[in-house]
Amino acid sequence: MTENKFRVALAGNANVGKSVVFNQLTGLHQHIGNWPGKTVEKAEGTLHFKDYSIDIIDLPGIYSLSTFSLEELISREYIAVERPDLVINIVDASLLERNMFFTLQLIELETPIVMALNQMDMAKRKGIKIDHEKLEKLLGIPVIPTVAVSGTGIYELLEKAVETIEKRGKKPSQMNYGEEVEERIGALSELVQKIHYPYPSRWTAIKLLEKDEQVDREINKIDPEILHASENLAKEIEEIHGHSCSTVITSERYEIASRITREVQEVTPPTKPPTRERIHTLTTHKIFGYPIMAVTVLLIFYSIFTFGDYTSGLLGDSLFGLKPIFEGIFGTGVVGKLVWGGIIEGIIGGVTVALPYILPFYFVLYFLEDSGYLSRIAFLMDKFMHKIGLHGKAFIPVMLGFGCNVPGCLGCRIMETTRERLLAAFVVTLVPCAATTVIILGLVGRFVGFQWALALYVVDLLIIFILGRIAFKTLPGEPTALIMEMSDYRVPHMKTVLKQTWFRLMDFITMAFPLIIVGSLVIKMVEILNLLEPIASILSPVTVTWLGLPAITGITLIFGVLRKELTLIMLATLFGTANFAEKMTSVQMIVFTLVAMLYIPCIATIAALIREFGWKKTYIITVSEILLALLLGGITFRLLSF
Amino acid sequence: MELRLSDLRDGESGVVISIGTSRGRGDADRVGRGWGFRKRLEDMGLTPGTEVTVVRSAPFSGPLEIYVRGSRLAIGRRMAERIFVEVKR
Ligand SMILES: Nc1nc2c(ncn2[C@@H]2O[C@H](COP(=O)(O)OP(=O)(O)OP(=O)(O)O)[C@@H](O)[C@H]2O)c(=O)[nH]1
Ligand SMILES: [Mg+2]
Repeated sequence: MTENKFRVALAGNANVGKSVVFNQLTGLHQHIGNWPGKTVEKAEGTLHFKDYSIDIIDLPGIYSLSTFSLEELISREYIAVERPDLVINIVDASLLERNMFFTLQLIELETPIVMALNQMDMAKRKGIKIDHEKLEKLLGIPVIPTVAVSGTGIYELLEKAVETIEKRGKKPSQMNYGEEVEERIGALSELVQKIHYPYPSRWTAIKLLEKDEQVDREINKIDPEILHASENLAKEIEEIHGHSCSTVITSERYEIASRITREVQEVTPPTKPPTRERIHTLTTHKIFGYPIMAVTVLLIFYSIFTFGDYTSGLLGDSLFGLKPIFEGIFGTGVVGKLVWGGIIEGIIGGVTVALPYILPFYFVLYFLEDSGYLSRIAFLMDKFMHKIGLHGKAFIPVMLGFGCNVPGCLGCRIMETTRERLLAAFVVTLVPCAATTVIILGLVGRFVGFQWALALYVVDLLIIFILGRIAFKTLPGEPTALIMEMSDYRVPHMKTVLKQTWFRLMDFITMAFPLIIVGSLVIKMVEILNLLEPIASILSPVTVTWLGLPAITGITLIFGVLRKELTLIMLATLFGTANFAEKMTSVQMIVFTLVAMLYIPCIATIAALIREFGWKKTYIITVSEILLALLLGGITFRLLSF
Repeated sequence: MELRLSDLRDGESGVVISIGTSRGRGDADRVGRGWGFRKRLEDMGLTPGTEVTVVRSAPFSGPLEIYVRGSRLAIGRRMAERIFVEVKR
């Protein structure tokens, strides 16, 4: 069967719903949340529709086709260079003017476009009515209203997309930027037409006038005369308007977007301030904003702890009670020991120790993310983050880091400079992730007291602050300023939140459990071969003498490099019980947790760091964190046993 | 009256005159460090002639929340110091 293959890219402003549409179309699960900048790399999925096989590409959200940031570069490269058969421009209907500014730039690129007028439900709630048929006429491109989260309009969108590709028809007609500018665009594009340059000549001319770095550089290589001509033309425009040429063109574009918006949109603002506005005012309030944030965070950890504590106890008692049954089946010989101790106990450890904390934690994080609170916290924390050489937006990857350091490190791409990305990633690796939370809440919280678990978090924040400051001083450079959109609060879409929690949980189970089982098997073998003692004693100068821990913890800390929660699960396997209080003193539990929390980024995080920043920087971060953990662990041990 | 955006009171509106690339006014160095940020602000709708409202500013001279073309932006104070606006007072 011969299949027609198409490539369709999803492009648009940040946080408009591109990834929701992508997931709807492909059945994949890209990260969704209510803050700008989640998708940092393009993602691909395939869809079969009629006789076609369509590759869908989810692109990072951007405000413009300039080359200011990594996301803009990635998206522009894809649309301009790889030339998909069609671009679906996803637009936030409640912010039509700003979104259309980007649409106009897509039109300049002369790619076939279909517009998805998304978030129609939100627009309606804000009292915004849009005549999409008129919009279609004015822009000269098909417009389909959609509500991506509920799937409304997605089928029509797909049909229209295929129809547009099939017709391969006319390019969208170009907008008029006013006489003085148009004249010069015309003159310049005539020059560009003569050379061999892969982009549309009108687009190239506009980019030259805007002094786009990349286009300037490339044209200069081909024919410096053209660059020269464009500089002169730009100067003329500057003299007429009194602003830089790029400002003039941007203004003209917005002028057009604004005019069209006025023609198609009718706004009847709601009479009383809606709840989301009142929540916004409260959560960004000068005085109340901070206590609200503190209480929210506290409540979150306390409820996760309560849930985890209860469930963990319940599961532990009943599951470890199964031991006699298994021994009845497999005996107490080597096979029995391996099956019970190696496999079953590992799984039970994973289920009782990790899942009760991880599950609610993921849920709450996704819930918060989808509400829109993260960007408010970023706003409140901006000033604080400046103290460690970053700005407020860096707090978003930090919060993602609480779920897992890996997306946290990748999320650092929302920072503008390499220096800031590195600084932020360093901070992220110090954040206790969900796995570490398992240890903090499941060991210290459960057996020493919630207030001690809390104290560990506070200590961690202090360490982050101090080390962040040191890193800031060693990496010279001015912090750049915050520019971030704060999208409206939304009632989190439950299905989305639950779905994301579920997939994340499945990821956890498929990643962690094989490791847990293999780890437990290895440990049991080592135990059967009577090698536990010798290995543990090699490490005992550090673990026993310096940190005051049971010698056996040395072995679990080695496993913890794979995944942090393994340290605790392996400990349960080795002790043969998840009631750690029987085997460790309170001080030991606190020191163990502190060390486990800081001693190394896990292997997945190390891999992410290498990918983003290279070997050398990763090596420095890793080694300094090992040393720091040992240093602090030893000091804490001595302070607490005083 | 011409003011920096950072000098506006909470709830006050003004019309953008220009965005400086350094702390000073005007279009001086177009390729310098501030250029990208000015471009970003303009791309987000802060073009000359646009009305912008300071909704609130965070305490301890933190960032500002501004409202422009229907969207809500958070911008650092140092950024706001570079935006010149015309205000009726
Ligand atoms: N009410 C409503 N919410 C929507 C709709 N479409 C998307 N959302 C929500 O909008 C937010 C952003 O959606 P995403 O798909 O993650 O946005 P994106 O465009 O991929 O964002 P970036 O990757 O950050 O650029 C999420 O909280 C979604 O639940 C819609 O049609 N109606
Ligand atoms: Mg996305």
